Amino acid sequence: MTAPTAADVPTLQTASSLVELTSDTYTRLQRLPYAGGGTALAPVRALLATAVQELDRARTDLARATRTAGGRVQTSANAKYAAVVEQALPTVRGPGDVVGLLLTLEDVLAQTLVADVVDLSSPDVRGTVLGHATAAARRKALLLTLGALLSTGRADLVAVPPDLVALPPGAGTVGFPDVLFPTEKASPAIEGALG
Amino acid sequence: MTGPGTTRRRFLLGLGALSGAAALAACTNTAPPGTPAPAGTPPPPPSTTTTAPAPVYEGDAALMAVAAALSGLAGDLLGQAGTGAGQGRYGSVPGVVTAFLSGAAAQHTAHAEAWNRLLTNAGRPPIDGYPLTVEPALRGRLVAAVAPVDLLGLAADVTASVTATITAIAGSATGTSTVALAAGVAPVSAMHGATADFLLGRPPTAPTDPTAGALGPDALTV
Repeated sequence: MTAPTAADVPTLQTASSLVELTSDTYTRLQRLPYAGGGTALAPVRALLATAVQELDRARTDLARATRTAGGRVQTSANAKYAAVVEQALPTVRGPGDVVGLLLTLEDVLAQTLVADVVDLSSPDVRGTVLGHATAAARRKALLLTLGALLSTGRADLVAVPPDLVALPPGAGTVGFPDVLFPTEKASPAIEGALG
Repeated sequence: MTGPGTTRRRFLLGLGALSGAAALAACTNTAPPGTPAPAGTPPPPPSTTTTAPAPVYEGDAALMAVAAALSGLAGDLLGQAGTGAGQGRYGSVPGVVTAFLSGAAAQHTAHAEAWNRLLTNAGRPPIDGYPLTVEPALRGRLVAAVAPVDLLGLAADVTASVTATITAIAGSATGTSTVALAAGVAPVSAMHGATADFLLGRPPTAPTDPTAGALGPDALTV
């Protein structure tokens, strides 16, 4: 087993900052009746609950890797995207807005983690980080699908299980738009690093 | 410490396999066999046999080979499922299911081609067919499928296997191009799995152990 090194610390801290922000945003959105409450569409409510659990595991794994590398754990939310969230939250009016905001955060998080896999020195941590990237990618796929369905104005299409006959064919592919996962939105390693 | 800009470029270099970038040869760990001998080297004695040696995949090459074979198998199975659905073999299949199968199949096939390109760049033979111990059982499931839900269930399981296998590769490979391609491929396969789960009405939960069920080089039959 190869331990992460001091050079990995900024990368891990930046990843943690994005996980903190994304997790916090999910938690805040859960308090909205149409996102995590009684009037929420079942797939949206389930995604929010699952995401919080998965991001808790990411937070724990990244903190462990940071400490192993000799660094301080980043526990603050990413400042750059926190500003985006604070600007967007007052404009959230329904499930489509919820999905749109979360999609922005999950895309940045997933792209950052994917890019981090190559940067990290420890193979074990690479595997762990890619595992969390694939979890974020799964959530992104579902958000893309839910967003496309909600944009049709037919909330009845967002159901568990879905009515396959009623779904538009495009709903079967909108969740995976790229042959290779992109990284152009990946945060630079220093963006969320502690000084 | 390597700067972020440099490392992000390394990622893009690794992904060049998808477009066949020749620059990848510089990233591989092993010199390709057949490299011309230095000037002054005496010629080798004439060969007395015409039997070609069996392909050997070791180290990162074995990981690439597993990835190529499994991605190719996923593409073939989902592609056949989509074609069969279009021909009415599984009853009335909703368009969303057919579109999913065909779309995911095309991406898995592209991934297999990228892995094979990495193998070729490393001086190894590309994977021919789908030489995996799991192939007969998975083909058996496609043969036994009678309804759209069977096709989606097969797709969910196959893509889960691909995602776990490629994720495990990222945690054990040593070559930058192998790691970079794994990082680009695994999340896309995970997105296929998430879509299949949604269509099946399953919970949107990612596996707690992202490498559970991963295939290793011992799954190769070549």
